[in-house]
Amino acid sequence: MSAIVISNLTRDYGENRGVFDLSLTVGKSEAFGFLGPNGAGKTTTIRHLMGFIKPKVGTVTIDGRDCWRERDIIQKQLGYIPGEIAFFDDMSSAEFLRFTAKYRGTGNAREKEMLDRFDLSPKGKIKKMSKGMKQKIGIVAAFMHDPEVLLLDEPTSGLDPLMQCRFIDLVTEEKKRGKTILMSSHMFDEVERTCHRIGIIRAGRLVALDTTDALRDKHVRPYTVRLDDEQTASAFAKDFDGRQDGVAVTVSTRQTLEQIFLDYYDVSGGDR
Amino acid sequence: MFNFTLYKREMKKSILTLVIFAGVLTIYITMIVQMFDPEMASILNQFSEIMPGVMTAVGMSGTVTTLIGFMSSYLYGMLLLLFPMVYVVLRAHGLIGKYVDRGSIVALVSAPIKRRAIAFTQMKALASGLFLLVSYITLLEIVCSEVVFPGELEIGSILLLNVGLLCLQLFIGGICFLASCVFNDAKYSVGIGAGVPALMYVIQMLANIGGSVENARYATFFTLFDPDGLIAGETAAIAGIVVLFVGACALFVAAIVVFSKKDLHI
Ligand SMILES: Nc1ncnc2c1ncn2[C@@H]1O[C@H](COP(=O)(O)OP(=O)(O)O)[C@@H](O)[C@H]1O
Ligand SMILES: [Mg+2]
Repeated sequence: MSAIVISNLTRDYGENRGVFDLSLTVGKSEAFGFLGPNGAGKTTTIRHLMGFIKPKVGTVTIDGRDCWRERDIIQKQLGYIPGEIAFFDDMSSAEFLRFTAKYRGTGNAREKEMLDRFDLSPKGKIKKMSKGMKQKIGIVAAFMHDPEVLLLDEPTSGLDPLMQCRFIDLVTEEKKRGKTILMSSHMFDEVERTCHRIGIIRAGRLVALDTTDALRDKHVRPYTVRLDDEQTASAFAKDFDGRQDGVAVTVSTRQTLEQIFLDYYDVSGGDR
Repeated sequence: MFNFTLYKREMKKSILTLVIFAGVLTIYITMIVQMFDPEMASILNQFSEIMPGVMTAVGMSGTVTTLIGFMSSYLYGMLLLLFPMVYVVLRAHGLIGKYVDRGSIVALVSAPIKRRAIAFTQMKALASGLFLLVSYITLLEIVCSEVVFPGELEIGSILLLNVGLLCLQLFIGGICFLASCVFNDAKYSVGIGAGVPALMYVIQMLANIGGSVENARYATFFTLFDPDGLIAGETAAIAGIVVLFVGACALFVAAIVVFSKKDLHI
């Protein structure tokens, strides 16, 4: 059964901006990666899922409920990290988290655990915080009530590499715990490490939809090279992150997201 | 339909602003009540005979020989219209428009709370703050009068007068709140929310001067609030504040509906 169903969603902002005839589903307990460059339409799609904007064409549902009409019911089991964090400047982060838990009425069972995970001491006014700190508060607010469905809009933006890793670990754990996750990103790497399936969106249109493994196979080109001796091979494998087998080392090139897009662009162009 | 946690937060913010407004009003109201002096009142009456335009423009007309008539002229012509109005404009913006403009409304709408309930709670916070402010004004007027001129003030009339003031300010609040719910950009929500009442007030001032622009008073809702009429207990004046109250309710309902149905690009 699918938890998130988007069918024929269209939101035309003019000048070829927006989202066009987008259809995709995310299964229950599935982690779905929503990849696309800036301005591709990821946030616009997630806004529809959150019930912030009403579909002009098409429908979006979560657990069979209409995301616009039944948004308050859906929100009971939903955690959301906004693409742009803008919380109440006048509050300290502790106050904000306390307020959010009470306001939502969904509790804060995991707040302490989340704060610890991200080395966050919730002191100080939100106004004075760095982008990364605000992002962490956003993460805590999204996960603290242990929701079933997670909508994460570029959740690692502003985080340092260590915190990005911890976040990826968190998402992986949540996936194992059976949560349904839709995570948007413009980085192939982080989505590849966490998500079972990936949809690639470009200029508001879905250009690829496949399992991560299939996409990886398509876009990773392996080369096997033979070196003079095993010692050199081992050093080579280490330097180039390859797999060593005697004197043979297999290294693979990874295409950048942009290259992958261009691939899909060409394919769809050829079909026309 | 109502979220107490949000209400508490907003009332806390309102109280801070209210304290400042109450402080300034305390100074003015006590000063003006003390200024009442039947003899002095007749001097002012003469003054307004010499320069009728200036005095009536700021609403200072009518009989100033009774304490309540004096208060009606010197407080309800301008001061008590403008001060609470500034409060209402500021708070109405702070309760919806500012959140939408800055995007922090996301913290309120990404929760299992109906939009209707959010807007209703904010409206209630606006109305409660206003109620507190007008109640304070009423209490202050009564206490001041009783201390300085015991038994001089007609309590029934001052209560009715302030019920009228509350209706008028609620109506202004309705305009600001609706503007806040319609526009996403603070430029427009504040511009319309503050601009319309301010423009109406200017028209009212012009109409007060009389002459060829007198008919302009039919173009402003301030006409519906007639302090002297309320003191005299005129039916037309009471009808006026009923219209203001019903209008305020209609504006708030419209605002809540708009907010519930609007797209939030946040
Ligand atoms: N409210 C809006 N009005 C007009 N255009 C918009 C609006 N919101 C987004 N857009 C445009 O729609 C496109 C997709 O935006 P968005 O969904 O935010 O992209 P992403 O999140 O993938 O970076 C962009 O070109 C953006 O400029
Ligand atoms: Mg985005």
